[in-house]
Amino acid sequence: MIPENFIQSNLQGISFIGPELILTLAILLILLVGVLLPYWRHRILFTILAVAGLAGSVLPLWKLPQPAPDLTYLSNLFVWDWLTFLSKPFFAVVGVLTILLTQVTGEIDNSEYSECTILVLAVTMGMMLLVASTDLLMIYLAFETMGILSYLLVGIRARDERSGEAALKYVLYGAFTSGTMLFGFSLLFGLAGSTDLLAISQKVAFASQHPQDRLLLIVAILFFLAGLLFKTASFPFHFWCPDVYEGAPTPITAFLSVGPKAAGFVLFIRLFYPLFATGHDATIYEAVSGLDWPSILALVSAITMTLGNLAAIHQNNLKRLLAYSSIAHAGYLLMGIVSLSDLGLRSVVFYLVVYLFMNVGAFAVVAMVASAGGSEEIDSYRGLGARAPYVCVAMAIFLFSLIGLPPFAGFVGKVYLFAAVIYKKIYWLAVVAALNTVISLYYYLRIVKAMFLEKPTETIQIQVPLSSRVLLLALLVPTLGLGIYWQPLARVVSGMF
Amino acid sequence: MTNLIDPLHMKNMLWLIPCLPLAGAVINGLLGKRLPVRLVHFVGCASVFLAFLISVAGFFTLLGIEEPHQRFLIQPLYQWILTVWHQGSFSLQVAFRLDPLSITLCLVVTGVGFLIHLYSVGYMAGDESQARYFAYLNLFTFSMLLLVLADNLLLMFVGWEGVGLCSYLLIGFWFTDLEKAQAGMKAFIVNRVGDFGFFVGLMLLFWTLFEGSNGTITGLGFQQLRESIPLLNSASPILGVGLATWIGLLFFVGATGKSAQIPLYIWLPDAMAGPTPVSAFIHAATMVTAGVYMIVRLNFLYVIAPAAMAVVAVVGGVTAFYAATIALTQNDIKRVLAYSTISQLGYMFLAVGVAAFSTGIFHLVTHAFFKALLFLGAGSVIHAVHSNDMLEMGGLKKYMPHTYLTFMAAYLAISGIPPFSGFVSKDEILWATFNSHLPVAGLGKALWALGLLTAGLTAFYMTRLVALTFMGGFRGGLEKEKHLHESPSVMTFPLMALAVLSVVGGVIGLPAVTHLPNLLHDFLGPVLSSHGASGHQAHAYWLELLLMLISIGVATTGIYLGWLFYVKRPELPGKVAARFAKMYQVLEQKYYVDEIYQALFVRPLLKLVALSGRFDLNTIDGAVNLSSRVTAKFSFLIGWEDLKIVDGAVNGLAEIFKRWGAALRHLQTGKIQHYLYSVVLGIFGLCVFMFLF
Repeated sequence: MIPENFIQSNLQGISFIGPELILTLAILLILLVGVLLPYWRHRILFTILAVAGLAGSVLPLWKLPQPAPDLTYLSNLFVWDWLTFLSKPFFAVVGVLTILLTQVTGEIDNSEYSECTILVLAVTMGMMLLVASTDLLMIYLAFETMGILSYLLVGIRARDERSGEAALKYVLYGAFTSGTMLFGFSLLFGLAGSTDLLAISQKVAFASQHPQDRLLLIVAILFFLAGLLFKTASFPFHFWCPDVYEGAPTPITAFLSVGPKAAGFVLFIRLFYPLFATGHDATIYEAVSGLDWPSILALVSAITMTLGNLAAIHQNNLKRLLAYSSIAHAGYLLMGIVSLSDLGLRSVVFYLVVYLFMNVGAFAVVAMVASAGGSEEIDSYRGLGARAPYVCVAMAIFLFSLIGLPPFAGFVGKVYLFAAVIYKKIYWLAVVAALNTVISLYYYLRIVKAMFLEKPTETIQIQVPLSSRVLLLALLVPTLGLGIYWQPLARVVSGMF
Repeated sequence: MTNLIDPLHMKNMLWLIPCLPLAGAVINGLLGKRLPVRLVHFVGCASVFLAFLISVAGFFTLLGIEEPHQRFLIQPLYQWILTVWHQGSFSLQVAFRLDPLSITLCLVVTGVGFLIHLYSVGYMAGDESQARYFAYLNLFTFSMLLLVLADNLLLMFVGWEGVGLCSYLLIGFWFTDLEKAQAGMKAFIVNRVGDFGFFVGLMLLFWTLFEGSNGTITGLGFQQLRESIPLLNSASPILGVGLATWIGLLFFVGATGKSAQIPLYIWLPDAMAGPTPVSAFIHAATMVTAGVYMIVRLNFLYVIAPAAMAVVAVVGGVTAFYAATIALTQNDIKRVLAYSTISQLGYMFLAVGVAAFSTGIFHLVTHAFFKALLFLGAGSVIHAVHSNDMLEMGGLKKYMPHTYLTFMAAYLAISGIPPFSGFVSKDEILWATFNSHLPVAGLGKALWALGLLTAGLTAFYMTRLVALTFMGGFRGGLEKEKHLHESPSVMTFPLMALAVLSVVGGVIGLPAVTHLPNLLHDFLGPVLSSHGASGHQAHAYWLELLLMLISIGVATTGIYLGWLFYVKRPELPGKVAARFAKMYQVLEQKYYVDEIYQALFVRPLLKLVALSGRFDLNTIDGAVNLSSRVTAKFSFLIGWEDLKIVDGAVNGLAEIFKRWGAALRHLQTGKIQHYLYSVVLGIFGLCVFMFLF
């Protein structure tokens, strides 16, 4: 016999997953259109449907009640807090940018285009579910929704060998690490007897007092890390990243480098902050006693950024270079997680937003140059500044922002991250990060140098269509704007924690 | 006086002053290539002119406020930085501050700036990248106005960096000429040294306030800084030197870079590689005076640091003299003017160093008039002769009457002939120096004597310049003589306007002897610390008059000697040069300072660059050539071995990075089996780490 208020509350809870439902509707619609018009040659219809679906998905958010940390719904599967509230539009933006980038570049054939949009929408839905989940089972389901569909996305160009190889690597690597993570979940479930994060967190504090239980907890944490570090492309689970990023179609690479990565970081916050860290005053947390995960993550962070930056120095393929750069950025972002303070968590979210625009921007330029007749090798960027000044100036701005130079948004984001670790007095990490920024200068500026200072080796004419220019502008405005006037974003972010 | 404009309205319009030139820069920078040249000119000039009009309106609005201490308008644009922690918060706004000091500078920057923009229309005619030129020039105007109008130190620093960047861009404007590109680089690098000092000062100031207030600091606005002076006074000294002194000196390091004082003046003469209007605008009238402005803006900080003030005064006085001696022997017309600028900037620092802040600003203003005019006049001459070498000029009086007449006005002003503006301001500096209370007894009098001597030298080298350029006969050859012509009126009009200002500019700061009010001093009064006025209170009528007569005497002597040497008996300079050959050569070679810096800093640095270059080559070649994975495996060891052998730690470090990078490449085998192994190893490694530590 199901109590009446149970049904009632679940019916109410459905309104909270409005975005996901709308996305599902949009997916079904595109599927239908794709079946009805199998020889449709124009992408624009699918693009409009997908963008409309993504835009529509965020509309219900403003109808919902004020987010609160303890507002859970659907039998405590999901939570409606500020992090959820802000993450959903973030992923919608990621989705929209990816769809538009696929639209303006020709990397994905018309025959695969409708599937591509469907998959992007579905991964976005997975990410939206993931950030709201507070139940291990739901987390895993959402994690795999996001994961498995993104494997498909990587392999969307069925006839391209590179794309297929990348997809296979991604699948195997992903299966391996998510299996490990699931094992960690099961350990935790065995220990706590519940899959609800809140319930587990109460048991964890208690269990960490006992040596055997503590051992179990440590193993569980390490197994979690396998899944989380895989998604965020951090050491030692980053090996898939350069190969997959290089093999995937560029718009999809851009998508992977910000979407699942951001979802991974949000999951980091979700898992570690109620479970293994306790807030002892309003702003500072402490790791659960006996579980010294912050120091191990600090080490991972330092190695990740150093490794990413050093390896990037050698790359001549821009997608590979940006893949290593994205590994390095995962290292920077981990600094915020390590710092165990609201300041750190805020800076992670702040940096993710900034990173979204500048990184998608850089990949967008790569995609545009490649589809306008160039290639992804640095050689085809030599002397490009004179032939395609607009695109190259945009690229330079994105790269400067990735380095973290003022007055671009990346600088502000880095300042917040650095401030977080310095505030926590982890000076060695700040020094490592600062040195890494200097190393990164070298390979980012290599591109700028090639574009503006070197003589062209080939004389292909680069024609960038108007739609691409508009998209670049849409990415430039926040990259520049948030570097000059970032208070609105900072205020929003500081309301979260 | 009634208010023509409601201060409230004016306040809301402040942002337009810097943003109009910014808009001009954006339009010309982005669309310039497609716009007709005339429109580019119009956008470039009109944006500055509009900013000038608003500044004028702002000036009258300020005057309309009855109570002098209420004469400031602050427009907060938006919240820039806000950090909250448990004891306090740090908040900075992007806000503009219009007060007597900033409006004075605004009027100079936009007014003189507009004239120079106008002149550029003629000077740059025919150049193919005029849009870029005007975009840079407008961007510079924006940065300078940002520097001047900023309401807090950090925003001022943004402008400070901005003007440096624009200066670099404009010096190297004709970047296809390697020498010019290098001159731009030199200016930029030398300025970085100074800016680093400024930045360290900024951080030290912040830290002192943060510690002193127990973490309740709220911002870096000028008003707040003024109020937190007691904190600086009570902070415990470092190495026996008070914090205010440290901070003042560090800021002054920044000023020596930007304003070309000893020891960082070396970039300015080379900066003459830029187009002449740029030299007039940036390297004479505005940017180089930023250091003076900064010290006057922070006068409340400097008055509690007498030791720092004394350093400023001594560096200023010595630079004034030193640069004037170099100017005696230079033959490049723009270089003479460049050294003259360094020398005049020295005067300004001398003035602010002896706490005569308003006098420093006064000389800044008059110098902006006459030095801009001198440069523009020189530009007009260069435009006609197509050479910078004065030995190829001569007799231009006949061919370029307008240029000649206006140039004479500036010449008399800089030489210190009453009643021209330069005389009034320079004399006020000398009088303030004579009366100063520096910590070392007799230092004031010594600096006065040095300043007086410099005045004589100034008159001499300027006479030499005028004689070589305009007097006698033309030495550039018959072919060139045929083509000599007066510049177009778009160039001569700014000359005339500046000439008028050079002649009458002195009225804004009349000396006490005249028993007329010193307008500028009274106007600036509220911004300055009460201490700053002391130089003027203890005045003795007859003494001032006597000193004034002495300085006129020295100036006329200088002019007479110059006339004697270069007009009456042209064989004399050669004889003197031969008689004092050693000394002459030292002067001609600018005391060999460039060579010394070259040996001390540049060459070691270039070595480093070469090493990095090798590193660059190696990385690219090496990536291809490193075929053996064995090498990679032992790379770490080899890296260490290299570190010991290879000359220099930097190279070793680069090698290590390179090898590590190469090793990392080999880890990325592309084989999924290896990757999956790495997952196992990774988890295992994390476990080991967790249990071991």
